Amino acid sequence: MRRLVTMSLLLAACSTLALLPMADAQSKPVEIPITVENQKFTPAEVKVKAGQPFALVVTNKDAKAAEVESKELRFEKVVPPGKTVSIRVRALKPGTYVFVDDFNKSNQGKIVAE
Amino acid sequence: MGATFVVVLREGFEAALLLGIVYAYLAQIGHPESRRYVTLGGALAVAASIVMGVAVSLLSGPLADVGPDVIALVVIFGAVALLTWHGWWMGWHARELRGALQRRVDAAHASHQLWMVGLIAFTGVFREGAETVLFLWGLMTQIEDLTGWAALAGAAGGLLGAVGLGWLVFQGGRRLSVLRFFGVTSFLIMFLAAGLFSAGVGRLQGLGFLPGGDPLWDTSWLLDDHGNAGGFLAGLIGYRARPSVLEVVAYVVYLAGAGMLFFPSVFRPGTRRNGDVTEPAQTSRV
Repeated sequence: MRRLVTMSLLLAACSTLALLPMADAQSKPVEIPITVENQKFTPAEVKVKAGQPFALVVTNKDAKAAEVESKELRFEKVVPPGKTVSIRVRALKPGTYVFVDDFNKSNQGKIVAE
Repeated sequence: MGATFVVVLREGFEAALLLGIVYAYLAQIGHPESRRYVTLGGALAVAASIVMGVAVSLLSGPLADVGPDVIALVVIFGAVALLTWHGWWMGWHARELRGALQRRVDAAHASHQLWMVGLIAFTGVFREGAETVLFLWGLMTQIEDLTGWAALAGAAGGLLGAVGLGWLVFQGGRRLSVLRFFGVTSFLIMFLAAGLFSAGVGRLQGLGFLPGGDPLWDTSWLLDDHGNAGGFLAGLIGYRARPSVLEVVAYVVYLAGAGMLFFPSVFRPGTRRNGDVTEPAQTSRV
């Protein structure tokens, strides 16, 4: 029993420790606002600095959920209607990266890192 | 209509595949009564998906931003651990079966940890569950005209399609001989889990917790992982058009390790295919 308690305490401590840097890093990166409106990303192309992590802050103004996804950048996040969701993106090499709304593939956006 | 059909079918595809496999697995080892674990796991996952969908819609702030990432990572690596355990278990039993001339797995033996397949069902359904809930919810709030209804009909068709697929996997799997079933599903599970593991590593890279992330190669000209075919392959075996070095390494290392765990007879020549293994297992160690 005592071992069980110790184990769960340890597990809780570990998960808190794991979450701390996330919460911390969450507040740091440059925020790039994007809106989903009428099934389109606006702006459809955003510029970021290469070599610096950033966050896409996506606001969904439509009545339908959008799933902002990039297999290349490994993010996949649902933005419910009327909500704003922040998506962390790692530091990128200069280049163009595509993301799509996985619920509506005709809606695509680009990140240009330079 | 076609678009919503594909979206829901794709989201439900992996869950259907896993559910079909574990239901057939229970039939194969002669424990159909343990299906309740799978059904319970699946039902709990649907409930959890709805709770998560509601939570994501209501909450905001850092918790809502970070929470889904953390949960996604836990579910991905949890699923990898469960599938690895399951594959190892099947490989181990397949070896036993060979020795026992395809006799059904001993009841007391197999019922030992069968509730674990319920957890597999849970992770399989929950992984894309919250997204599907949000997608369907969005469709339902949009029913004002004919196109809204058509979209919803497409989504329902996709859901039915996924269920039908799971049913086919279940029926097909049940009809295979026990050994072939274990072989085929071990193989499938191995690639599914390798894809998940590599995807988990990729997620960690995407979030910046692991270094690197630049693509090792680019096959998007051949098969785009954002497209329909590529998307299905991505869900099934973890196809990536632009994988990072770490993702490729994770994939290969997992396949090698799981291969040895899942197919012990291939790596331990002492256990033969057609039963009558007379030498003790110890001598066959490589």
